[in-house]
Amino acid sequence: MFDTIIHAISELGYWAVLSALGGLVLGVIVGAVPGLTASIAVAILLPLTFFLPATVGIGFLLGVYKGAVYAGSIPAILINTPGTPAAAATAMDGFAMTQQGKAKKALHMALFSSLFGDLFATIVLLSVAAPLAAIAIQFSAPEYAVLFLASLVLIATVSAGDSLKGVLSAIAGALVGCIGLDSLTVAQRFVFDVPELLGGVPLVPLIVGMFALSEVLIQITSPLSEASAQISRTVGPPLQRKEALKCLPTLFRSTSIGTFIGALPGLGAEIACWVAYGIAKQRSKNPQEFGKGSLEGIAAAESGANATVPATLIPMLIFGIPGDVVTAVLIGAFIAQGVTPGPLLFTNHASLVYGLFALLVFTNIALIFVGLLSIRSFSWVVRIPSSVMMPAVVVIAVAGAYSIGSDPYDVVIMLIGGVLGYAMRINGVPIPPFIIAVLLAPQFEKMLRQSLSLSNGDFTIFVSRPISASLLAGFVLFILLLVGKAAWSKRRAALPL
Amino acid sequence: MISRTVLHAVISAATVCTIGALPATVAAEQFPDQPVRMVIPYPPGGALSVTGAVIATAAEAHLGQPMVSLIRAGGGGAVGATFVAKSRADGYTLLLGDPSINVIRPVLEDLPYTADEFVPIARFTHSPFVFVANKDAPFKSMKELVAYAKDNPGKVVYSSDNINGWTYTAFEILKREADINMRGVEFDGGGPAVTNVLGGNTLAYAGVPSVVQDYIASGTLTALCVSDTERYANLPDVPTCVEQGVDIKWGAWIGLFAPAKTPEDRVQRLRTAFNALAEDDGFKALMKRINADLNYLDQPAFSEMLSADSKAVKN
Repeated sequence: MFDTIIHAISELGYWAVLSALGGLVLGVIVGAVPGLTASIAVAILLPLTFFLPATVGIGFLLGVYKGAVYAGSIPAILINTPGTPAAAATAMDGFAMTQQGKAKKALHMALFSSLFGDLFATIVLLSVAAPLAAIAIQFSAPEYAVLFLASLVLIATVSAGDSLKGVLSAIAGALVGCIGLDSLTVAQRFVFDVPELLGGVPLVPLIVGMFALSEVLIQITSPLSEASAQISRTVGPPLQRKEALKCLPTLFRSTSIGTFIGALPGLGAEIACWVAYGIAKQRSKNPQEFGKGSLEGIAAAESGANATVPATLIPMLIFGIPGDVVTAVLIGAFIAQGVTPGPLLFTNHASLVYGLFALLVFTNIALIFVGLLSIRSFSWVVRIPSSVMMPAVVVIAVAGAYSIGSDPYDVVIMLIGGVLGYAMRINGVPIPPFIIAVLLAPQFEKMLRQSLSLSNGDFTIFVSRPISASLLAGFVLFILLLVGKAAWSKRRAALPL
Repeated sequence: MISRTVLHAVISAATVCTIGALPATVAAEQFPDQPVRMVIPYPPGGALSVTGAVIATAAEAHLGQPMVSLIRAGGGGAVGATFVAKSRADGYTLLLGDPSINVIRPVLEDLPYTADEFVPIARFTHSPFVFVANKDAPFKSMKELVAYAKDNPGKVVYSSDNINGWTYTAFEILKREADINMRGVEFDGGGPAVTNVLGGNTLAYAGVPSVVQDYIASGTLTALCVSDTERYANLPDVPTCVEQGVDIKWGAWIGLFAPAKTPEDRVQRLRTAFNALAEDDGFKALMKRINADLNYLDQPAFSEMLSADSKAVKN
């Protein structure tokens, strides 16, 4: 086997390496522009790869994927506008740090966490892909239903402060998530004869609106005092080694979560970032810092999100099943080369696969330099005064929303999202539960119904299947721990001094 | 408090952008004189979008203008179809459709569009379905499946995609022809459907050869039969369903449609372009590479096929 690997690497040639690097840089640019996501970029670039050799074309797409998922954190931190949905959790603490004049630290942490998550997951991909995939394939609707339920409950705990408002936010998000044509019964929900709503509310413009536009509205109505504005215009000192090392346990934990979620077919970075963030907050020694500028928060969100990138390749390569939208397009890229991902891939095209693995490791290392370069290129953004910055954000938000599919509908959603986000923020209603619910609630419902369809209406399917039973048990345990912790701290507070 | 300059700047920027985002008017002298959009109604990565990407890439030489893929996914294809049906009938917005969107669902469901709102241009591919089973299933051929299902009514669980989708319809035909009782679970797409039959959560599935042939070759799935008049070239050992005693000759196709009110001369111009494309060797080679079963039907034959299919569904 080792000589196959060495042979594959030597076969790569300059073009494959250069195109992977080019893809990485392009991906960073795409990710840094709000509205443009990895999925759009990869889908548009797909036809280009038809006429290129496999390692060059697919290596290029992999670079774009990686770069985009990382770079979404840059605008998330600097202007509270996630460049991709995967960076939404990073915006929570990243932007808070920017406002405290610590943008550089935040950007460095995001890069470090991305590299860490990516490297770890790549090692997993290279070593235990096959056994992991064999487990992943046994996951069906009941297991996903439990996972989604657990994630929904978990995220409700992410909201700082008033948990009633968090639950309200989640319920509102769940209702918005239901809008559209229900595929299981072809019933139209909340569509009101607006044809565009048949496809539901698209996530990307919604996020751009709820984060970026709401920020603009808040700045208009209650701008920062001159002193705070001054502070937020400095980038601050770089990340210290000590601070980075302190986050290592969080990094390991979040990366494992991200790798696991990525390896499950159908789940991707936009879910992983929140689950990692939520669990990190639970396990942190300083949970109250989360949302106010916690480096741990950034570490969790970014490493969780970036770990999914190599991990989604696992079900794709082993079974030909997409891990998320991007891998679905990548499968198309393979097919266009006459290579079908799946059980015969390693037997028939081993050198291609190992060549791509080598490119994955290469882009991981290259990201260090590309990342540092992009941080340096983008940091000056914080020094722009808000009277110029805010209109620019509006322009970027509208252009970004429109660029998704040249559809004014997306722009409308973005604008509505902005107003909604503003209304929520001034009333202290947290945004994360809303977004997670929009994403997960319809999925949970779908998995629940599929489970019952599988079992012919029998609810015991959740406990009769071994994997789902253990997940359910873990979830119940987790809830008990949560309740226990809350009761315990109430008791302690009530004790006389 | 509120800085006037900021407020004014923001409002003007927002207005400019939103107005600028509205579509511009089109005045065409020579058709086509700007890029032609092909709407793909499913999320990227599926068979339709890969085939669509190949068509779009190769069509420019014959159209004289680039062809751009526009993805409008949602509602199992309904969003994209409605978008094209209601779009300006100037020949610049086309739909890449399939039997589910253009024949079956408009008949059976209450959708915001009807099949008559489209005029067919050409059919590009036609693939039969291959019925497959999980390798540990208690049947190894279609005959055995039918026998097992008759002995165990309601016990066989198969993977389906979505209501009135490709796989769903294939199994409905099977159940009707063989008079058996089986349960389908709709997994909202071919991908999850395949995953579940691979993982043993369901026992059977029906898909196009390009999706299932590798699994058959590696033994992870057992081929039961192929729903065509003759055996499939790449799967010579798989009997036709008719050979196995069940008369199913239905397949999936991908074709191009334009809004019904598109002027006739533009429809003919498109027809000529795509007829030429189908003869293009480069195009044929690309289609072969992606394992798409190129089976070109020009407009008159395609229309005929569509109305025959539509009648069949209504019964």
